[in-house]
Amino acid sequence: MTALDPGAGAPLGDLPDPGAGGPGETAGPGLARRFLRRPAAVVALGVLGVLVVLAVIAPFLLASPTEIHATNKFAEPSFAHLFGTDELGRDLFSRVAHAGQLSLGFAAGATVIAMVIGTSWGMLAAARSGWVDEVLMRIAEAALAIPIILFALVFVAAFGSDLGAMTLVAGLLMSPLTARIARSAVLAELKGEYVHGLAAVGVSRTRILFSEVLPNALPALLAQASLNVATSLMLEATLSFVGLGIQPPQASWGTLLKVGYDRLFESIWYPLMPVLVIVVAIGALNTIGDQLQRVLHRSGG
Amino acid sequence: MLALVSILIFVILRLLPGDPTIARVGAAQNIDPRALAALREELGLNDPIPVQYWAWISGIFAGDLGRSYFSQFDVEVLIGQRLVPTLELSLAGLTLAVLFAVVLAVLPTVVRSRWLSRFVGGYTTLGMASPPFVFGIVLIAIFTVQLDILPNDGYVPPSEDLAGNLRMLFMPALTLGICLSAPLIRYLRASLAEVENSQHVRTATGKGIRRRAVVLRHVLPNAMLPALTSLGITVGAVLSGAVVVEYVFRWPGLGSLIVDSVYKRDYAVIQSTVLLLAAVFVLVNLLVDLLYGVLDPRLRVGKVAS
Repeated sequence: MTALDPGAGAPLGDLPDPGAGGPGETAGPGLARRFLRRPAAVVALGVLGVLVVLAVIAPFLLASPTEIHATNKFAEPSFAHLFGTDELGRDLFSRVAHAGQLSLGFAAGATVIAMVIGTSWGMLAAARSGWVDEVLMRIAEAALAIPIILFALVFVAAFGSDLGAMTLVAGLLMSPLTARIARSAVLAELKGEYVHGLAAVGVSRTRILFSEVLPNALPALLAQASLNVATSLMLEATLSFVGLGIQPPQASWGTLLKVGYDRLFESIWYPLMPVLVIVVAIGALNTIGDQLQRVLHRSGG
Repeated sequence: MLALVSILIFVILRLLPGDPTIARVGAAQNIDPRALAALREELGLNDPIPVQYWAWISGIFAGDLGRSYFSQFDVEVLIGQRLVPTLELSLAGLTLAVLFAVVLAVLPTVVRSRWLSRFVGGYTTLGMASPPFVFGIVLIAIFTVQLDILPNDGYVPPSEDLAGNLRMLFMPALTLGICLSAPLIRYLRASLAEVENSQHVRTATGKGIRRRAVVLRHVLPNAMLPALTSLGITVGAVLSGAVVVEYVFRWPGLGSLIVDSVYKRDYAVIQSTVLLLAAVFVLVNLLVDLLYGVLDPRLRVGKVAS
């Protein structure tokens, strides 16, 4: 998927810079502070925060997503119904917010799996250079040779569309790329002088790896984690859209989008609103990942 | 490489429960278990997995991709029917994508307008953040639902009705083109910025050559080369984009063949089609590598004098 390309991102325009000007000279690590000085990064973090908060508070604050108003089908967006209503007159904004729990939960779960597997995979390859490295990275390359969507379809054919299985599959599919990133981050750290220093003092290699190198490689891994969340959201939306992802009684952004697409001729807002939320979420995550990478490269990491 | 990929696909498909014979016979309750067993035997599903794998792979080398468990057609026939629409869509989408990418990446360097550069930046961010089908939905909402001037699905072979074919091709190709162009623009802009700072460009500007001529004759040709690498990655995006875009517009190509087969658990079709697409991906990447050497003499491995 296109979200997988790291590289130069686009600034979001001349928004006011909420991070600058404040006397935020706390003792926080310099990297985080420099990250928060970037307007695009702050906006993206804010947008993502709003989406997560909405998904979490949806059951407490919003209108019921199951309340049916048969007289008010396919309403256009208004103040009463921010996103309009669906084929049963249910409030679409509330449905999208509730569906966020499933979509974001799935993405978070898949990302955790990808990070755990990918980081161990990459660290092992970096720490044990030689044939172990060679074999591990060849496997990663072979796995990367098939586009994720195609691979995911093969998995769905085998596992079916069970939510747990899908989360595991998405995590597995993202781990080869994560492994590559982790490997290069760890390799870069291993070249640092402090590693030689610690080794000279007699600190064991395992201990150096876990308590020194890993924390230093963390920012690079965080950037990849952000892109992984974006990729899993994209994967969920795509699979659900072709009807092979989350299955209808459960609502995710992708299933809402699919049902909305089937009703396109009755209300164009119905599919467009979930689309909007998905694109905004992925855009915010991509931006966070990009900005983090830029901060890292500026500091020569 | 491809061998590893093929093993991966095969093992995943066979590892797990789900029985294609059930799909073929239908969900009827009272099937004779003996008939099922006979069917399994006939399809070779009772053989050990390595034997099944060998049967599949040796078949491929003999030009036999297997037979659909479901429709009883040979997989070659099924793929043959779907190949032309997919090729047509992919080529049209790729052409549009390269066109958009070159125009949108070069324009800001020639015109040097802040707003233009922001527009391109926004376009790229949006394109990268959108699943491939998103623009399809937006296009259908505009051209079919609002304006009612284009059909939202269907396909006629170009040999039967060229105008009708192009009318139906327009929206899917545009969708694919837009979503492919975003990453291409990124690569091309990065590459342009790099060449922009090189000495021969400064010399050309110093000689007093007009800006447009400098960009078109000196910057762009040099910037295209590194951008070529991204074309290999783009082919992967074409393949996965086509799967979804075909679904949106009900375009009868390989992508919809895969999705249909996943619904039916028609392993024979899935494994051969996915392997075919993976092979295309690997081959194109190899080709791009070779093309590099042809286009850029500096990268040629010199013949060692013997």
